[in-house]
Amino acid sequence: MIELHRVWRVFSVGPVKVPALSDVSFRIGKGEFVTLHGASGAGKTTLLRLLYRDDLPTEGEIQVLGYDVPKLARGQVAALRRSIGVVFQDAKLLPGRTVYENVAFVLRVLGTPRREITPRVFDALRAVGMSSRAQAYPAQLSQGEAQRAALARAIARKPLLLLADEPTGSLDETMAGEVLDVIKDIWTGGTTVLFATHQHSLAVALRQRTLVLQGGRVVKDEG
Amino acid sequence: MLGFLIGEALRDLRRAGRVAVSAILLITLSLAALGAFWLVSSNIGQATDQWRNRVRIIVFLKRDASTAEGHAVADRVTAMPGVATVRYVSKTEALGTLKQVLGKDASVADQLPVNPLPASLEITPTAEGATPDGARALIARLAALPEVDEVGGGSQWIERLAQGRRLLNVVGAGVGAVLALAAILTVTTATTLVLHARRQEMEIMRLVGAPELVVRMPLLLQGMMQGLLGAMIAIWALIGGFTLVGPRLEPLVHQTLGIERLTFLRPDNVVALMVAGTVLGGLGGWLARGRREP
Repeated sequence: MIELHRVWRVFSVGPVKVPALSDVSFRIGKGEFVTLHGASGAGKTTLLRLLYRDDLPTEGEIQVLGYDVPKLARGQVAALRRSIGVVFQDAKLLPGRTVYENVAFVLRVLGTPRREITPRVFDALRAVGMSSRAQAYPAQLSQGEAQRAALARAIARKPLLLLADEPTGSLDETMAGEVLDVIKDIWTGGTTVLFATHQHSLAVALRQRTLVLQGGRVVKDEG
Repeated sequence: MLGFLIGEALRDLRRAGRVAVSAILLITLSLAALGAFWLVSSNIGQATDQWRNRVRIIVFLKRDASTAEGHAVADRVTAMPGVATVRYVSKTEALGTLKQVLGKDASVADQLPVNPLPASLEITPTAEGATPDGARALIARLAALPEVDEVGGGSQWIERLAQGRRLLNVVGAGVGAVLALAAILTVTTATTLVLHARRQEMEIMRLVGAPELVVRMPLLLQGMMQGLLGAMIAIWALIGGFTLVGPRLEPLVHQTLGIERLTFLRPDNVVALMVAGTVLGGLGGWLARGRREP
């Protein structure tokens, strides 16, 4: 499903080279739930961005869903991303559209037939417990609800892989628990999940395989 | 999908607000200027075509040429290249015409001891013979005939009118091109602002794997809508201007150019202006660039 071999990502700040990821290698199999744990600045977001080809490695090999990610042509990048759902800490909901429209938007841009859109949107909203909030605008949602709406948008396309970049980072414990439960349900449904968090307690509570990232290096692979 | 993309384009157009209005007005201005030059040019073209059909070359025969010799020359001239028709005007007919021109003073002509007017040939050239080079060559051939005393007429002034029309076309195209460039830049600016307002949508679209064409299509469509709207307003402005000013100019145009009625642009010209506006707007929309994918 995911395989990284000796991946480096080095940013140039003027004449100074700053390694965000150093010699990272790991493998994640189909159907796994893996927690990517590390403090802020450890390289979690950089790593996730490489997986959905929002950035390119300075060196190394990355295989995701059978795609040789760094070598993908522009047209193939879209094909890769159609199989990946991504959620962020800030939810990234479109402010001028309702929850329903936010979820429907991604289905429409991917050319989903019109008659399939409403049932798929409501399936996704039901899965995250948000069907009663379908007509609400993002500004009317709590942070937890916004994050669940973002999850609904990510899973409406039935992705094979879910990349979650600190989705509970700005939530209180209760809300974080609700979001986590939704992500676990998505995983139980067969989707491979890579869950990035800086919260150690959360990583422990998940009781799943955990990759610990420190200073851009994987220092521990446990569970 | 197209309906969705058009909906997105309309949403973008509303977001662009005043800048989109400026872009539409600039497209209106450029196409109205282009259309106005085109309108004037097509009417001058109509006049030159009409006058070109009326070009006549008059060949005055030597005074001692008999009627039979005159007809023989007419036959030879008819066979010349660049000649459409030849009419023989006898000395008597020429005097009759002179009397008509003199009107109440026609009795002066009766007092002449002999008819002083020569016989002549009134030649209508073909389209080729009416061009400056064709007319020059024809006049040279006619002047070389032994029975010919003098050759008059030609098409120089019509060609000057045609040259004026060509100059007008060049000026019109130049002004139109400058304004069109300004319109493209304005649409590009409007679209760049839209890009800024739309960056979240585009980010989500790219994130979920929408084809790049789908990501950019609303930008292209909103540019095309601005262009089409600008072209339609320009055409209505031209129709309005023509309806108001045309009837007032017609007497002057009739006297100077000899055309009865001014004509508006042909339907295919109107369609061409609309297509030009749509292409201008589309180009502006497409040229706006956002963040590039790695």
